[in-house]
Amino acid sequence: MSIGPDHVAPDALVGIPRQRTNAGRWVADGWSAFRDSLRAQGVGLLEDAATRGIFATDAGGTAYGLPHGVVIARSAAQISSLLKAAQTHAVPVTVRGGGLTTEGESVAYGGVLLDMTGMSNVLEIDERALTVRTQAGIFWSALAERLRRQGLDYLSAPLNLTSSVGGTLGVGGIDVNSPHLGCSADQALALQVVTPTGEIVECSDTENATLFQRVILGYGQFGVITEATLRVRRYQPLRMRYFYYASLRAAIADLQMLDAEEASDYSGILTMMDKAITLLVAFDSDEKEARFERAFLSRLHGAGEFAFAVRTAIFYALRPWRWREALYLYRRKSVLFPEFRRPEFHRGGKMHDRTVVFSRAVWKHWGRRQMVIPDLATSAEKFIEAVERGNEVCRRYFPYYTLYCVGIKLREDHRTHYELSCIPPDARGRAYGCEFEPMLGDAVYSRDTLQSFKNEIYDVGVALGASYYRFGGMMKGYIRRVFGDQLVEHHLTMKRAADPAMILNRDVVF
Amino acid sequence: MRTSDVVIVGASLSGAAAAKRLVDAGLETVILERQELPRHKICSGILSPRGHRFLLENFGPLPREALHEPTSCKGVTFHFPSMVSMSMDFFGGTTPHLHRKFSDHWAIKQSGAEVHDRTSFVGLEDKGDHVLVTARKQGQDILYKARTVIGADGPSSLVIRSVYPDYPKQIPWFFVGQKFHDIVDCPLDPQYFHFWFHPDLGHYTWSHARDGQQIVGVGFKRGDNFDARHKNVVRYLAEKHHVRLSEHTSHEGCAENFGPSLINRYVFGKGNVLITGQASGFLNMIGEGMSCTLHSGALAGEAVVEAGRRARPVQEVYRRMIASEVRRTTDQWNPLKIAFGRPHEADFPAALMKLSWRERGLVLRDIWRFILLYKEFKWGRQIALAAAQRLAAAGYPGGRWL
Repeated sequence: MSIGPDHVAPDALVGIPRQRTNAGRWVADGWSAFRDSLRAQGVGLLEDAATRGIFATDAGGTAYGLPHGVVIARSAAQISSLLKAAQTHAVPVTVRGGGLTTEGESVAYGGVLLDMTGMSNVLEIDERALTVRTQAGIFWSALAERLRRQGLDYLSAPLNLTSSVGGTLGVGGIDVNSPHLGCSADQALALQVVTPTGEIVECSDTENATLFQRVILGYGQFGVITEATLRVRRYQPLRMRYFYYASLRAAIADLQMLDAEEASDYSGILTMMDKAITLLVAFDSDEKEARFERAFLSRLHGAGEFAFAVRTAIFYALRPWRWREALYLYRRKSVLFPEFRRPEFHRGGKMHDRTVVFSRAVWKHWGRRQMVIPDLATSAEKFIEAVERGNEVCRRYFPYYTLYCVGIKLREDHRTHYELSCIPPDARGRAYGCEFEPMLGDAVYSRDTLQSFKNEIYDVGVALGASYYRFGGMMKGYIRRVFGDQLVEHHLTMKRAADPAMILNRDVVF
Repeated sequence: MRTSDVVIVGASLSGAAAAKRLVDAGLETVILERQELPRHKICSGILSPRGHRFLLENFGPLPREALHEPTSCKGVTFHFPSMVSMSMDFFGGTTPHLHRKFSDHWAIKQSGAEVHDRTSFVGLEDKGDHVLVTARKQGQDILYKARTVIGADGPSSLVIRSVYPDYPKQIPWFFVGQKFHDIVDCPLDPQYFHFWFHPDLGHYTWSHARDGQQIVGVGFKRGDNFDARHKNVVRYLAEKHHVRLSEHTSHEGCAENFGPSLINRYVFGKGNVLITGQASGFLNMIGEGMSCTLHSGALAGEAVVEAGRRARPVQEVYRRMIASEVRRTTDQWNPLKIAFGRPHEADFPAALMKLSWRERGLVLRDIWRFILLYKEFKWGRQIALAAAQRLAAAGYPGGRWL
């Protein structure tokens, strides 16, 4: 019996049509032949339940899938053998670094899971040229630690430093210095990549440039990054300043003004509640700070800590039915402020190693066993609307949530890198991203509730023509709607040419 | 003896949802089903948009064979004795009209779990760290050993009976039956599910189109006469709505556990035995049970996975996770939420506001008279208590659950 068109699915649902988010498990056709071929080449394949179980989900905790086997990455040659065999036997390979994806991009719905953390050595640091060559499975925290010994620092990395370098280069990587220095993926000078057909290729802006363009921000579709050369800089302690707002709109306007004027080296917005918004600004040098004080300080609408505290106290004193909120705010303040001002990380008013301070704080006060952080990335003009609409969604779902907003400086010469990526196509100069993170605390929510929440945020992106930082996996249904069929088909054609059996990171983008 | 991580009793939608979560997380899962698959199931088949979304997101687009004709339903129409009718469209758009025989089988296959059909559940024994399940296939006893058992075997659940033997005596039972008629002339819109708030017709009276026939269904307290009740409804439809039907060609009926979701008295099991789906008492407004069933089933699966990952007792994890589904379902019966809350699947207050003042008065009066039909169950005080508790807390207290 032939099955005709379906009248009720998926387009029957008004609004954004839904599609399958929890992929079906790969039917293990040809698994034993594949296993034998790997064994013959000496590639270690772990098939015990305990090892496979480690990788059943990612940081998002909404996608679950079990690989048939796990390979720990050891060398480019080993990965090459693995991918060649996978092409021959059509076995899906899912690549995983820190596993910090939230949409199941690093969850294997069957097939092989390639754990890149086995390749985590720093290969060479060139202090004169200010570059580092590293294996791609290294975590940013380990890389930072290695660089510090020589008084160096990476340019920008995700706040959450247990993500891997390779994974970050594939998706973006934003930090509070991204408005000034761009995203992590833009820092890569050259890469060693194993293509889906198993060739080991070196690529950069000048050598194999097309492959380089596809692999950077390529969501792992066009190759496995095994080594990367990154730009680095001299390490600098920084001086932080905080401004407080009661209106999102005013805070974002100030953030964008500071970015446009290059008034600071670091900037970002972190909200505690709708009525308590922090704009953080930081400086690498005293000159820059002096310039900021001279030219921009008076233009900011934010208040200092004391003035804001007084204003907030009055606000809540007049609204006794909202005292629970005030209490939350007070508690939050009393744990967060000292965390960012711990004396052991401060000398002479300067913060020593924001890497440690930030990533400690992120894990302690935002991280839980489940990371639910849908996001929107838009051009500067659409940003305020995107944030306000996303904020509305958060308010409907959760009592407490945090918004984290930051700009990303774009490189005009990298425009081809940005095709079909987190960088919205209409952004010029700077793109903006906002993460919407519910404070789940100890409350338990079903995966479906969280999924509905994320969908509603992503729907805003479709309505506004934005992009997403977390891109693909369970939300891949949005990709065509946001970028249009033509662009997606174009990339799909390239993907088919590069990966004939469509084995590398299936179910992520296409 | 067959050993697995989880045994699910009942190859229905909740079983499929639980199995999907378990299989995805790599747990070995066996589903026991009394009948041979695909099996027939009594159901209106009208799924709410939330359930539709769940099916799409977890099992993919529905195959055509899993749908009846008309394949979709636009919304619900309420009819009142005062002859006022109100139509309400579902929020999410049209929703599928499931052919349960094939939709359930499809979902079960998509879940990837191992199914043992024609295997009836007989009993179980919770040994603390594992459960022994006895089942019977073609007269032969089979023993299963699992860490957790999920009872997803519907209202008259045998799994509940093996954990709480006198539970069936504690709740009122209803009978719902439907008859299939060839249509002579039917002015009722086939795109809608029709429901009557009429105390003289029965506790639950509905009609909708399926595969060229018209279904006339009625629900009432167990013990009444189905044929007489049904004849009464057909006569009423002919008289008041000019629905002309020929003699029915077939009929079916089943027992229903309507009530637990109104008064927050669900049953979720004991120890390593979880109860889920309609067995635990979930039922949406207008008797739609499939969307809660899918979600509670998935929660049972998620709870087993979480319990394993965090080394916590599965019952405790399940009860914490199920609170959201309880909140959602019981909210629909909470008078304060109906009047002031955000509507869930269709907007009753908005439809009411479209009527004239006089009609609004009639509708409210008719609903009140209809509710009085349920007076004998003494739910009023319990509903009021639950509503009051909901005001003070973010959910409904778990202390009343079994």
